[in-house]
Amino acid sequence: MNTLKRYLRLYRVLVSQFLKTIMQSKVDFLMGLLGFFFTQIMGIAFLYLVFEQIPSLQGWSLNQLIFIYGFAQIPRGIDHLFTDNIWMIAWRIVINGDFDRYMLRPMNLFFQVIAEKLQPDALGELLVGTLLLIYSLSKGIVIVDALHIGLFLVSIFAGAIIYTSIKLFFASIAFWVKISGPFLQVAYEMADFAKYPTEIYARAIRFIITWIIPFAFVAYLPASFFLKETVSGWIIGIECLIALVFWCIAYALFKKGTSIYESAGN
Amino acid sequence: MKKKLKIYLPFASNELKRQLAYKGAFYLFILVSLFGSFINYYLWMAIYGSSENNILGGLTKNEMIIYVFMAYVTSSIVTISISDWVSDDVVKGTVSMNLIKPIDYRASLIVRATGDMIYRFLAPAIFIWIGVEVYKVHWLGMPFTNISYIFFYLLSCIMSFLIYVLFDFCFGMIAFFTTYIFGMLMAKEALLSFLTGQLIPISFFPEIFQNVFQYLPFSSMIYTPVMIYLGKYTGETLCFMLLRQLIWVLFLYILGSLIWKKVTKRLVVLGG
Repeated sequence: MNTLKRYLRLYRVLVSQFLKTIMQSKVDFLMGLLGFFFTQIMGIAFLYLVFEQIPSLQGWSLNQLIFIYGFAQIPRGIDHLFTDNIWMIAWRIVINGDFDRYMLRPMNLFFQVIAEKLQPDALGELLVGTLLLIYSLSKGIVIVDALHIGLFLVSIFAGAIIYTSIKLFFASIAFWVKISGPFLQVAYEMADFAKYPTEIYARAIRFIITWIIPFAFVAYLPASFFLKETVSGWIIGIECLIALVFWCIAYALFKKGTSIYESAGN
Repeated sequence: MKKKLKIYLPFASNELKRQLAYKGAFYLFILVSLFGSFINYYLWMAIYGSSENNILGGLTKNEMIIYVFMAYVTSSIVTISISDWVSDDVVKGTVSMNLIKPIDYRASLIVRATGDMIYRFLAPAIFIWIGVEVYKVHWLGMPFTNISYIFFYLLSCIMSFLIYVLFDFCFGMIAFFTTYIFGMLMAKEALLSFLTGQLIPISFFPEIFQNVFQYLPFSSMIYTPVMIYLGKYTGETLCFMLLRQLIWVLFLYILGSLIWKKVTKRLVVLGG
């Protein structure tokens, strides 16, 4: 209990340091937010234009697709906000030898990595996600009862963990190959596939994004639970299980990586 | 002319060499951006599958497949973001070095971008293009693209490239006013992918938007060359489209010169 308290206090201290740097450059913050906001809005505009031509896409209505799209943004945004520094492991921290800094402090290594930075750009994604969810709720296409609200919270939390695990896994490869940024980039971009119903893809792609890099479990599959009565709540259970398994694998790899880490220098 | 060539050519060849040095990262970048095309491909397949019409936005399903991949090929050779370089130069202060040399900064950027374009044309674009043609003939049972369309397509691409870099130069001037251009670049990319027709053919837009786009340079960047490739423009329309591209090149060239003059007057460089 005491350790938890200590970490919470440390997190507050570290984050407040970081917030000061953001306050220094408010315009940058706004523009970053705007950039992510625009990127997501264009995706919706695309769907809108397409649905001018067709009544439904393989049985999905425009509003339902908007819900899936918005739902996908929320776990993504949460992960992006809190753990953006994982990217730096993949690109920079390991090869520069900056990881030394973490090794010297008597704190959990993963905690130090994520506590160093908050990514305010992520608010753009969270904003779009929330707006789209509110829109979908106002259209009355989402199932709202106690069970669904409860599982909704569980689902976005588990989704964010899946994101973090995938990032941590690919970033940890950097301990062996020094720079793993490109691998991480490819894996991360796979998430775009899951913004649409996965039935539209060829079987191989569907298999990859469901079971190997399981982004379908972050977006499309849980989202369908909130849209269709016929989808069982077990889908959220499977999502949590996947989150747990992937987190254990990723964290074990990270641990192993830190144990073989060698500093740069001469 | 010969002297000019001697001065500016190294910018292109250096860029070519630089790109060749980081091949690994480049191929991964291609893979990532191809993802987008495949998502689009499957999405359009599903869209045509759900539609009662065989023709959407003036394109048949087969034409749409070619559109998606040719839009990718076109954008990969045309959209070379020189505003990244401008912002880099401004943030690092190296822009002052470029100002004291007896060269035109914009010309050096454009030549450098040309090096990049040639590389991208050789590395991914031409292979994907061949892939598209093979797919088209072998699976879709359509004939090879007419050689005259290819000629006009390439001509149009060159102008698209000029329109894009000249526009991007004007855009890059924002870097002189703010240091964090990353967000702006993202917003620009998102907006352009939409307005240029890279994401969805312009013909899908409501009429009123299409009319507005007539007076903007964006549709000339990707939509026009791809439509030429598809053989949608012939005779007079083709001439008109190419002429319109030419006018945009001239207009943006003059606009860029004016902005550049204004900006350099108030430039403050720290260190550098």
